[in-house]
Amino acid sequence: MRLILTALMMFFSWLLLAEAHAEVVIVLNSGEGTISRIDKNTFRPIDKFYVGREPHHLMSLPDNSALIVANAVSNNLVFLDPRTGDIKHRLERISDPYQIGFSPDKRWFVVNSLRLDRVDVYDARDFHLIKRFELSSMPSHLAFSPDSSHVYVTLQGSDQLASIDLNSMAVQWTIPIGKTPAGVILTPDGQHLLIGVMGLNEVAVVDYKTAQIIKHIPAGKGTHNFMPEGDGRHIFVGNRSGDTVSIIDTKTLTITKTFPVAGGPDDMEVSADGKQLWVTNRWIRQISVVDLTTDQVVHTIPVGKSPHGIFFEHHASRQ
Amino acid sequence: MTISEFLLNGFVTTQAWVFEHWINPLLPRLGLLSYQEEAFDATEFALVGLFEIILLVGIFRPLEALIPAEDWPDRRGTRVDVIYTLLHRLGFIPLVMFVLMWPLTFKLDGWLRMHGFIPYTLEDIFPVLQYHPILTFFAYLVILDFFSYWLHRFQHRLEWWWALHGVHHSQRTMSYWSDDRTHLLDDLLTTAWFTLLSLLIGVEPGQFIFLMMIPRILQSLAHANVNWRFGPFEVILVSPHYHRFHHGIGTGSDSGSLSCNFAVLFPIWDICFHTANFSRSTPPTGIADQLQGRDYGSGFWKQQQLGLKRLWCAIRYGKA
Repeated sequence: MRLILTALMMFFSWLLLAEAHAEVVIVLNSGEGTISRIDKNTFRPIDKFYVGREPHHLMSLPDNSALIVANAVSNNLVFLDPRTGDIKHRLERISDPYQIGFSPDKRWFVVNSLRLDRVDVYDARDFHLIKRFELSSMPSHLAFSPDSSHVYVTLQGSDQLASIDLNSMAVQWTIPIGKTPAGVILTPDGQHLLIGVMGLNEVAVVDYKTAQIIKHIPAGKGTHNFMPEGDGRHIFVGNRSGDTVSIIDTKTLTITKTFPVAGGPDDMEVSADGKQLWVTNRWIRQISVVDLTTDQVVHTIPVGKSPHGIFFEHHASRQ
Repeated sequence: MTISEFLLNGFVTTQAWVFEHWINPLLPRLGLLSYQEEAFDATEFALVGLFEIILLVGIFRPLEALIPAEDWPDRRGTRVDVIYTLLHRLGFIPLVMFVLMWPLTFKLDGWLRMHGFIPYTLEDIFPVLQYHPILTFFAYLVILDFFSYWLHRFQHRLEWWWALHGVHHSQRTMSYWSDDRTHLLDDLLTTAWFTLLSLLIGVEPGQFIFLMMIPRILQSLAHANVNWRFGPFEVILVSPHYHRFHHGIGTGSDSGSLSCNFAVLFPIWDICFHTANFSRSTPPTGIADQLQGRDYGSGFWKQQQLGLKRLWCAIRYGKA
């Protein structure tokens, strides 16, 4: 009898432990307004629930206490528990939040409104609107300078990169960058901006201090968005039209490797141990998991329509 | 794998294949890469439309053969309506309308926001809808249907608008293909109407491409040459018989105060505003002056041209 009880206790303890360790992957299905939750350990979908209209991007609060989902058409931000994906609360009347970002000093919260040609700067403490910029056209992605003095915004419709001075709250410069720029990211050494130029199938390297393009790195078709590998040196870039992902060495500013990921690779997330790359496959309602030791897609997981943003708590460093 | 999963997978695979092999490669050449996501949605719209057309032919054509409201010697008169249906349901006309209305919509919406006004959505007013997308869809459907009813009344009430709307009503052999038979300018006005409405109530039809199939199929059924009254549901949904009466010569189309049955999906609006007529008679369809020999055109371009001519007469002389 004692043996049976012990076995049962062990079994239930194991179940509880497994539950406690189950890590949730959160995926935004922008085309149907839902969030898919996936068990990161088993690669199986857990559930799917409605969150709002056109959720495209998501990011953590600076203190990691919540994950913000930006519902562009619902004009709101939804705050999730970053561990479980459960909805905590909503912040209404945030105009058309497409792409969002916090400045490194946690002072500013910037919202790109791609549909309406606006960039809004909010006070990050209380989400109070400070300034609304009219920037034509199609402000897409954004990145901050290391000292938080500037935010850089790609203008997808007018083929430009804009710099907004957050101290004077004025557009500092706008430069031509190439056909249909999308993702923008600061290199880990803080020296350059990398811009995915979809129409030129390349990564443009910009010295943001002089507002000059210093290098063009040929990449795959439809070079789109970035995610740091977490080692302080390499950055993944998705080639959305070419169905590949490339790795950029930011020291040499060259592409070191390219591997296939089907179905329009878009946003990415890297596991904390650097062994897995999770990619949203925009056109085929799937997530691909790439084993980074072999660069092979080892799992595909069904999600909802037009999966875009992806997040899990234990991810690699964003540097 | 369930049947619905199998169908969905098939659809998703087809959409991705068509988009990646046919549409996406064209976008950079046309300078439209910025609209990649919209092009992907348009691909879905076209494929849903194709699926819809297959359903229409597969279900409504046999129905028209089994229980026709009218007997026709042949179906030649319905052929031109096939062109309208293909142009609408495969997305060509909606795409043109979208491109024409895009600058107006986004300039206006952007301007409002620059002045501190964020258009409200139904979910803002009824927060419970934030958790029930299907309920939200039906709420929007009812509201849109209400405004469709009033738009339709204006199409009949205003002489210049009737000049254009006459294209739709001039069909003497009304079939399941006739729903989309409209003047292009009428389409533009309707699109403008709903664009402004969307700014007021936050409609985003793109969110509901699949769900929109249901009302569109019902509207096709409403025009079908089928003698079907929906029994006790006649007062809930617009039946082929109910809508045929609206198209009837002397009963609906151009009979002034006797015009009736303007509802698009739900007869409740006609009931509320005293324009419902649940008569059991089945009048021939068309416009009264066609009986005196007035020509509304039998081909697509002729119908469009004559519509413009009637519009000019309505504006210049006050009579279409």
